[in-house]
Amino acid sequence: MKQHRKKRLINILLISLLSGSGVLMVLYALNTNLDYFYTPSEIISEKLPSNKRIKVGGMVREGSVTRNGEDISFVITDYEESISVQYKGIVPDLFKEGSGVVALGYMENNSLKAEKVLAKHDENYMPPALNK
Amino acid sequence: MLVDLSHFLSVLSTTLFLLTSTLVLVLDCEKKHSSILIKRAFSHAFILLFFSFAIYVYLAATDDFSVVYISQHSNSMLPIFYKVTSIWSAHEGSMFLWILFLSAWGFVFNLNKDSNLKIKNFAIGIVSIIIVGFQLFLLITSNPFETNLPFSPINGADINPVLQDPALAIHPPFLYMGYVGFVIPFAYGLAFLLNGNAGINWEKVVRSWSVSAWIFLTIGICLGSWWAYYELGWGGYWFWDPVENVALMPWLAATAFVHSLSVASKSKSLRIWTLLLSIIVFSLSLFGAFIVRSGIIDSIHSFANDPQRGMYLLIFIGIILFSSLWLFTSRFDLLTSKTKIKSFSKESFISLNNIFFGVLIFATMMGITYPLIYELAYDQKISVGAPFYNAIYAPVAVLASIILIISIESKWGRSFKKIQKFNQLNLSLALSLVAAISLYFYANNGSAIIYMSAFVGFLLLIRYLILLVFNTFQKKHINIPSMLAHMGLGMLILSVSANSIFSSERVFNMYPNDIKTYRNISISFNDLQLINNSNHDSIRAVFKVVDSNGKSSLLYPEKRKYFVRGQITSETAIKVTPLKDIYITIGDQLDNKSWVVNVQLNYFIRYVWLSAIMMALSGLIIVISSYRSKP
Repeated sequence: MKQHRKKRLINILLISLLSGSGVLMVLYALNTNLDYFYTPSEIISEKLPSNKRIKVGGMVREGSVTRNGEDISFVITDYEESISVQYKGIVPDLFKEGSGVVALGYMENNSLKAEKVLAKHDENYMPPALNK
Repeated sequence: MLVDLSHFLSVLSTTLFLLTSTLVLVLDCEKKHSSILIKRAFSHAFILLFFSFAIYVYLAATDDFSVVYISQHSNSMLPIFYKVTSIWSAHEGSMFLWILFLSAWGFVFNLNKDSNLKIKNFAIGIVSIIIVGFQLFLLITSNPFETNLPFSPINGADINPVLQDPALAIHPPFLYMGYVGFVIPFAYGLAFLLNGNAGINWEKVVRSWSVSAWIFLTIGICLGSWWAYYELGWGGYWFWDPVENVALMPWLAATAFVHSLSVASKSKSLRIWTLLLSIIVFSLSLFGAFIVRSGIIDSIHSFANDPQRGMYLLIFIGIILFSSLWLFTSRFDLLTSKTKIKSFSKESFISLNNIFFGVLIFATMMGITYPLIYELAYDQKISVGAPFYNAIYAPVAVLASIILIISIESKWGRSFKKIQKFNQLNLSLALSLVAAISLYFYANNGSAIIYMSAFVGFLLLIRYLILLVFNTFQKKHINIPSMLAHMGLGMLILSVSANSIFSSERVFNMYPNDIKTYRNISISFNDLQLINNSNHDSIRAVFKVVDSNGKSSLLYPEKRKYFVRGQITSETAIKVTPLKDIYITIGDQLDNKSWVVNVQLNYFIRYVWLSAIMMALSGLIIVISSYRSKP
């Protein structure tokens, strides 16, 4: 009987240990891999560390898109403040001046070096932060 | 009016489903004649719903734009195939299809003979009440039968062009069949608890039902991944989008569930956990429906926001979840088994891997819900992307695969036998290590975890191949479905790792007649053509691609403009070779008449989908052989 209970205890300990470390691992990974979403105003008013990957959402300012070969730059605005964005590659089909956009990347010298540019697959899309 | 008939049949079938569940409640379910009555009521309810849907399909195929939903999502210029598939291109119609499938599973289950009348009838009652709940949801909050008479439009608003695609047309039906198929194990498990006789092997009864639903879910997810790859133009097979994740969670839970089912039905252990899993799988499926249809999460897949729908679903799903968990907690001691799991037996390893499945599901759930919680708490929008999921999935997959490898050697119900004369495991380990190390020296980039993943991928494939060869020679039994599914897993892990090691992309700025070279592949921009189609115009670029082995082929990426919505879409052009895909998309034309051209080399991507097919095939073998072995 004693032997049996001991074994059971070991089993329970093993299961809790495994699940517990799994949960801890998940929480740790969550904290180190978050992308924060900002509007241009929030970026101007808050000081952001440049090593943090962020998402910036807003509208593409009319007349701000310039292309140079495969490089494209544009300005994201929330009609209060603006942030300029540099990107290399193909922008989505729905990307156009005056419509909503979300860019993901790192801040560098007050402009965003984007790794990804997203436009919602919906003509009537407004970035949620602007919709408040 | 045909649409009114369809509407009427739908309402009528709902009342009949309600009647069925009432019959289960009031009749003595052990009696044969009450059983016949319940069976008939359910069958008739399904047939009515089926005809309601069939009429709806006819209305869509014949352009009846007096129906609001059809007028908003179809168009007379569409090919007939897309007129029909437009039914499930948005919320109301897809919910209709979802419910049809839910009752279809019930219908087939209902036709089947079952030795235990009481449990079967209880299960039918539970399925009926779930159908009633969702039918009310459809009819009250999202009525697809609404008409816009007398001012019906002459033509419809068209289906979103990115959805006009064969893979996407069949992707939702497969996915829905998978989701709702888990209603059978769910209802049967609860019926078993209600009945209260622990001696009945309910796990054996629901096994092939669960595996069938799992096959649909596997193929559904695979089709979605394939579609996203060639249609969205991002060149990936998985984006960790919340809506992809809500399909992945029930898949993971269902995979754990079908494994636990074999443990529970063979060794009478893990029975409590298995029953809990049947509840978890179905709840996760319903959670998926809630996430997609409530608009709570911002995703390219989500349907239009409507708080009323979200609220209804949340309450209804909450009721299902809490009542089933309440039943579970009040009755689970019924299943407490005397048989303890022996260490190092097959079931001990499966139990261990259940924990890993749990960690993955928990992580995915956190990835979906944490941004919502965080925003509520700190008023700061965040998102969780691929780096988080990679950080969890890669190490967990490696650990779980190692457990799986060890378990191949193990037996049901008893501990490991001591090492055999010739150790196949050591041979596989050595070969896989050599393979992984050569891969590292060949490619020479990527992180340690990728090579560890590649190593376990090799290990799984090689281990099973060696097993296959030796057991064939020694005329020993081989568990074909298990081998096929787990080699599929090995293939998946290996191709995902190799894809991330070798794949690359580059953006070029090209004028027509330009020639560029990228990683020994020459790409020449030969021509531009204007093409007029029935519902769109397109600009088609012609590229001649010469691979490093001298083989040349022509690729035609397009930019399309659809008339009705004025929407512009890009079509990728892909050259498939055994090892890699050459994947070209064109972007915008610049002011100086040059074009932005994106060239991707996606290695081993086809094997990602092949592995899903192997898993589905394994499930198919299980279902067919269990059907055959029935008397």
